Amino acid sequence: MGQEPADIHDMDPQLFQERVHSFEFWFEAVQGYLAGKTYGHTPDLKEEGLDEDEKDRLITVLCNYAVGETAALEGSSGLVGIAPNRNTKLFLATQVVDEGRHLEVLIHRLQDLGVRDAEAEIARRGSPKLVEFRRRLLDLVASKDWEAAIFAQNVILEAMEFAVFRRHAEGADPVTREVLLGIIKDERRHIGFGENELGRRLQSAPHVRARLGEVRRELDPLVLASFDDVTEKIGLSRDERPELARSYLRAVERLGFTP
Amino acid sequence: MSGSGDSGAPARASEPRQRYVLDDRGFDEVPKKYRKFYRRWSGADDELAPNEVLCPICKVVIRSTRELRPGDRVYCMACMARLEVVAGEGGRLEADVIY
Repeated sequence: MGQEPADIHDMDPQLFQERVHSFEFWFEAVQGYLAGKTYGHTPDLKEEGLDEDEKDRLITVLCNYAVGETAALEGSSGLVGIAPNRNTKLFLATQVVDEGRHLEVLIHRLQDLGVRDAEAEIARRGSPKLVEFRRRLLDLVASKDWEAAIFAQNVILEAMEFAVFRRHAEGADPVTREVLLGIIKDERRHIGFGENELGRRLQSAPHVRARLGEVRRELDPLVLASFDDVTEKIGLSRDERPELARSYLRAVERLGFTP
Repeated sequence: MSGSGDSGAPARASEPRQRYVLDDRGFDEVPKKYRKFYRRWSGADDELAPNEVLCPICKVVIRSTRELRPGDRVYCMACMARLEVVAGEGGRLEADVIY
């Protein structure tokens, strides 16, 4: 591997790709924001008193996040097997670890909030639209459709989570906020990977665009309905909801997919 | 020069580029040796310096040791993107993703 220049922006593009897709990079990056944390937050962080209604709404929201993270965990682990090259396989291996951590910290947060059987609560409170999205994502992975599965998972699902988690973190209680901020930092890598991987693919194989357009038309309603299920519970007014959906839509539009 | 708080006015292409010594702004999402090249964005009121541009994918501010101009290539390590600096609305610098 070549020498690095003094200014990172002068780095050779191939060297950059090797560097950022490596486990070494991932390990040094996550150490920066996870060292010293327990289950995603500072151990002695004080709980803010939530009333019963607030706690109940938060439990429903976290159960839905857990459905999304389970989908991403199962999806990314399946994608390692069909990834087209070493860089993408290694990156997806780091994503599997990230998604497993997300699921674990969310379940731990549910337990903090008094949920005894997190699995049962997630099954009971999970949005049917999100559960359907998970089923469709896993179908795409099982059919070994690399582009469609990466599009569904690392662009559509991750962009939705990125938008919702960022907005939720702004008004969340201190413990939930720290947990979400740690997840958001991981999501930056995941959305960037998805957009860049697909952007390159679409340039070299433009015919893929029509198929991904179909995937988007099928999955968009599920994603947008899932937004509706969660946004009211995290305290968003009706006026704010379209802006949140737009921040999700911008990611897919950068790849050239318009409504 | 720290890289922030300077005039955001775009320079002419014929003028020599301003150089910047970057300091660590606490951006903890990349390995330590790369941290000085990035900082958090604090929203629409966050005025970018001439050596800074916002990543359109993950909304992190990318910083360079030299003043940026349209056509420059930069990397966002937080989301692993390669970007090209372009002149946006009112001459403000923006970045397009290079796939």
